[in-house]
Amino acid sequence: MRRKLPLEGVRVVDFTWILAGPYCTRMLADFGAEVIKVQSAETGERESAPGYNNFFNRNKLGVTINMASQKGRDICKRLIKVSDVVVENFSARVLRQWGLDWENARKIRPDIIVVSMSGMGHSGPMRDYVSFGPTLQAMTGLTSLSAFSSDRPLGFGYSYSDHVGGITGAMAVLQALNYRYRTGFGQFVDVAQQEGSAVLLSTAFLECTINGKPPQPRGNRLHHQAAVPHNIYPCEGEDRWVAIAVFTEEEWRSFCRAIGEDGWTRDTRYATVLNRGQNADELDKLVSDWTRQHTAEEVTELLQRAGVRAGVVQSAADLVDHDPQLRARGFWVQAEHPETGDTHLGVYTE
Amino acid sequence: MTTTPQLNDNSALGGIRVLDLCDAKGVYCTKLLAEMGADVVKIEPPGGDPTRAFGPFVHDVPHPERSIFFLHYNTSKRGITLDIEAVEGQKLLKGLVEQADVLVETFAPDYLDSVGLGYPALTAINPGLIMASITDFGQAGPRRHFRSSDLVACAMGGMAHTAGDVDTSPLKPYGNQAYHTASHFAVMGILMALYHRNLTGEGQSIDISMQESIAAVLEHTVVKYFNQGLVPRRQGTLHWSNNFWVFETKDGQALLSTRQRWDDIVGWLESEGMAEDLADPRYQDPGFSAANVLHIIDVLAAFARTKTTAELVEFGQLLRLPYAEVRKVEELIDDTHLIDRGFWVPVEHPELGTTLTYPGAPYKAHRSPWRLKHRAPLIGEHNSEVFQGELGLSGEELTALREGGVI
Repeated sequence: MRRKLPLEGVRVVDFTWILAGPYCTRMLADFGAEVIKVQSAETGERESAPGYNNFFNRNKLGVTINMASQKGRDICKRLIKVSDVVVENFSARVLRQWGLDWENARKIRPDIIVVSMSGMGHSGPMRDYVSFGPTLQAMTGLTSLSAFSSDRPLGFGYSYSDHVGGITGAMAVLQALNYRYRTGFGQFVDVAQQEGSAVLLSTAFLECTINGKPPQPRGNRLHHQAAVPHNIYPCEGEDRWVAIAVFTEEEWRSFCRAIGEDGWTRDTRYATVLNRGQNADELDKLVSDWTRQHTAEEVTELLQRAGVRAGVVQSAADLVDHDPQLRARGFWVQAEHPETGDTHLGVYTE
Repeated sequence: MTTTPQLNDNSALGGIRVLDLCDAKGVYCTKLLAEMGADVVKIEPPGGDPTRAFGPFVHDVPHPERSIFFLHYNTSKRGITLDIEAVEGQKLLKGLVEQADVLVETFAPDYLDSVGLGYPALTAINPGLIMASITDFGQAGPRRHFRSSDLVACAMGGMAHTAGDVDTSPLKPYGNQAYHTASHFAVMGILMALYHRNLTGEGQSIDISMQESIAAVLEHTVVKYFNQGLVPRRQGTLHWSNNFWVFETKDGQALLSTRQRWDDIVGWLESEGMAEDLADPRYQDPGFSAANVLHIIDVLAAFARTKTTAELVEFGQLLRLPYAEVRKVEELIDDTHLIDRGFWVPVEHPELGTTLTYPGAPYKAHRSPWRLKHRAPLIGEHNSEVFQGELGLSGEELTALREGGVI
């Protein structure tokens, strides 16, 4: 007998589009919720890259409803009456105009959960600001701190904050479902995606408010723990790299032994983690001289066997075609859709 | 046995008991559960958790009770000490598991089995137990014993490859994002498992791989490879979609969209006489504008240098352009929007003689509000409350455990 998925029996009306919202409802769908994605008949979703919409809307049902018409809105109300959750990422006024905001939706379905995922939230002076993932990353400091120096911010190169927004939205839905089970009450949740991303700056805020010392960009070096070497190093081949992170003195000795540089452990410049920290640039250069003579895969195997944390800087091709761990765990799933390869979530429930 | 829900408690996870056996990978997971209302008991080895040695420290004075890392990630939890390798420690842990709903742990695969505390042993004590295990590469697979860290997970999971610039090495983005992402997936797994248990009575184990967690939040990266065979490369602040770039302004830096709402961008540039050739109808074609994005950036760069960041962002946002200031983290603290929304939470810390300002709720739930309950626990702060109050030990037994180094 097939085991029940955790969210079977939960029905979600999904008004979301682009990435953050669809990623949120995709996670609910992947774990058994019946997600009904509502789109206007005339406007399909803009495709930002081929396959993008498929990738982030798998496992959902799709309907088209003309929400500009009274009849369309009436059909939507009937849908809400038999649903548990509404998720949307419009600006605040859209649901109200349709008469489907929480105050109105609860008249149709008293225990409905409405989760609204906007960039800045439904209150505050910047509530109408337009934002995408890169906007939020810039506003929260993620872009300026992800850099090798403070005058040249680099950031992520993609919309990490949209994933964070989706995860925050899904957490909001899931906590509300648990609360409803205990009390019978639905509720409204105001997700401001900026806040979901800002909390991930974590200790940086206490560093500012308590010590008055805001963190500075440090590239791939570690901010707070003593760990040297701790960087990304060039390897044999074009644009091939390996990450190496040495934390303890035992790991340092294993590292030196593994790469045939036992002498480094006796060199006063590198004897302790403090010495290594003072001479980190010089040491990184020596480590690079060694890594350059090997493939990233060889370095990873050699150092992992020696108990040192190391890993190939994997590209999309590495992840999909060359990673034995992801393959053994069945991480990538080919869906039946003719054009699409697809991915697991990274959450496994047994 | 599970604790009885308190129906008058307006939190999502009131009445849920969580045992926290986490290192840096999982502490954010248990913080989130605690602030959703669960009673999280953090179990530290006698003497205190190794993360208490992570700097920086409050006022730069190194001390296990002053680690900013520990203070940040352990708010709203209770704290006990326990040696789970000692026979008596294991007995006490099993007693705690009997009363718990959820256990979150981050040990290497097979470790808990080797000390007799794996999922099969614990579920025999408490069949409804939900056990979430967060590891570097997962519980199974040929590399389950490989070791990782935030840096190595960002590399192996695919996040570092697309960050950085053409003339730099790949870059690990700031701030423990591998730990955060693994914790995020663990929280979602636990909330789903709790919902499932409500309806079926069944507990379950949850296997979270930090590498897979990162590989699940790469936006376009694998989409482009699956669908077009393209391997995205790092290209500085130019977003993969060619839609965003960080520009120098008169007084700082701003993120401007380069193609979104094109007519509004061109209209604004024209009104200032700085549009150059961008009004050419060929730019309406997405293929043409993508191919000429570097020229668009040049034109916008000249424009951006004539404006302050505030002028660009405020007027741009009026035009519905997704513009933003590239802020330093300290600039968020005075942000009027976040202050207006009550984002910051003051937390009293009497032992440090100060009030700490924390970032607050990741979402605003109106009926079951997220709540930062209190400061992080001191070492063994709740030992007598938990061991005497909840496991029924006597004062003498507690003293003997302390002297024996079990707690």
